[in-house]
Amino acid sequence: MARFISLTDSQQRDAQVALESSKPQAKHHQSGPQGEEVHLERLIKTTESTSFEALLRAHGKPEALSALLVAGDPEIDVEQVGRRLRNATRVHLRQDGSVLYAARVMQVVYGPDDVEKSRADFSDTPANVGEDAPALPWTGRLMALDEVVRRFVCARAFRIRHVNGLTFDFLFGIAKTLHEAGKLLYVGAGAKGQSPLIFTLNGTPFRGFLEGRVEGDSYLLVLHCSNLELKTVIP
Amino acid sequence: MAKALAVHLNGEVSRFGFARLDRHKLYGRKERQVVDQEGKRCSSAYLSSDGAALVPAGGLAMLYVDEAFATIERSALRAVDDEGADLQLLPSTLDIDQELSGPVAAQQVLDHAIHTVYQLLEETLGANLSSALSAGEIFSAPFIFRDDYQAQTLFLVRNDSGTFALVGTPRGFAFVHREAPTMSAAEDADELADDLDFTMM
Repeated sequence: MARFISLTDSQQRDAQVALESSKPQAKHHQSGPQGEEVHLERLIKTTESTSFEALLRAHGKPEALSALLVAGDPEIDVEQVGRRLRNATRVHLRQDGSVLYAARVMQVVYGPDDVEKSRADFSDTPANVGEDAPALPWTGRLMALDEVVRRFVCARAFRIRHVNGLTFDFLFGIAKTLHEAGKLLYVGAGAKGQSPLIFTLNGTPFRGFLEGRVEGDSYLLVLHCSNLELKTVIP
Repeated sequence: MAKALAVHLNGEVSRFGFARLDRHKLYGRKERQVVDQEGKRCSSAYLSSDGAALVPAGGLAMLYVDEAFATIERSALRAVDDEGADLQLLPSTLDIDQELSGPVAAQQVLDHAIHTVYQLLEETLGANLSSALSAGEIFSAPFIFRDDYQAQTLFLVRNDSGTFALVGTPRGFAFVHREAPTMSAAEDADELADDLDFTMM
């Protein structure tokens, strides 16, 4: 299903256009020894009732469990091991192994030193890019390719393409402007484009850099997204 | 001894120790945790559709099976391309000198999806490479972390903070054209040329 993004050009005109992810490169496939088709299957290996923690709870101390392991196979749930796990439901377990019915979701923030900085109830962060989101403003902040490549890691990118003849002209114009400038446009959300781009509910925030190229009567507009700076970590 | 990233440029060999750079190390991290009424952290698990099995984290095995559901050992698997031809396993490039290409344009880095970034620690650095990197030039080389069927591209970049290796694969974005109509409106037969038919209204 196509995703949409609303963009504004340098003349403050906005339009809704399509957003496409890059197609993953063709990868190799696995086949059996005779070339037969194979597929990955998710099978049950152990269940909660036969986990180390559960067995320890049931038998008190590791020494008692050791004796049981020597004498038999208490860690194997013969009824369940090897079953396919399909259409399973995600649940949460308390530390005593019982299913949790009333979950409280927290957001815990850790510093680079892995020390907890804060803890608060989790609240949803809505997407600010998409069909229902306001148009992303033309920030006018142009950055050299060299600078972007040397300062930021662009891990994700989306190709922006037209959805009709009018938006072809609109995007071609943006691509041409950037192509002639030989620079990338910094893209952000919010009225002044200062907020990071969030593509999905609770999604990763990114800084955006719009690249435009034209070739004859065709164009290429790519929104490069970065959430990492090229900075040295001091151990 | 830890393996190094080894490259050569114009006959000069350079070797770098490397450490993966990620957001956690630079900025820290945010984690969503589920807790019970007492504030104790809970773990996630899967409940099978029939309710008979509660599978904790680490309680699943991923196995390759054939159409008859017979398990295929990983060592017996063959890597093939789309046509079913066997692929050759390529050796890791770590500790093996790779010839650097370049300087390459910054555009080439943007044309790759960068999956991994390494912060480099110079063990041996050729004078030519050092001065070229300091002048803002970028070099590329093939990169395979561990034996694999596909090589990635490594870009050597230096900024005020340090020297980095960006590892990625081509994005493959193509230019887009306007989809022209098969026949121009002018060439169409003018259906309104005849008298307008009001009886059908």
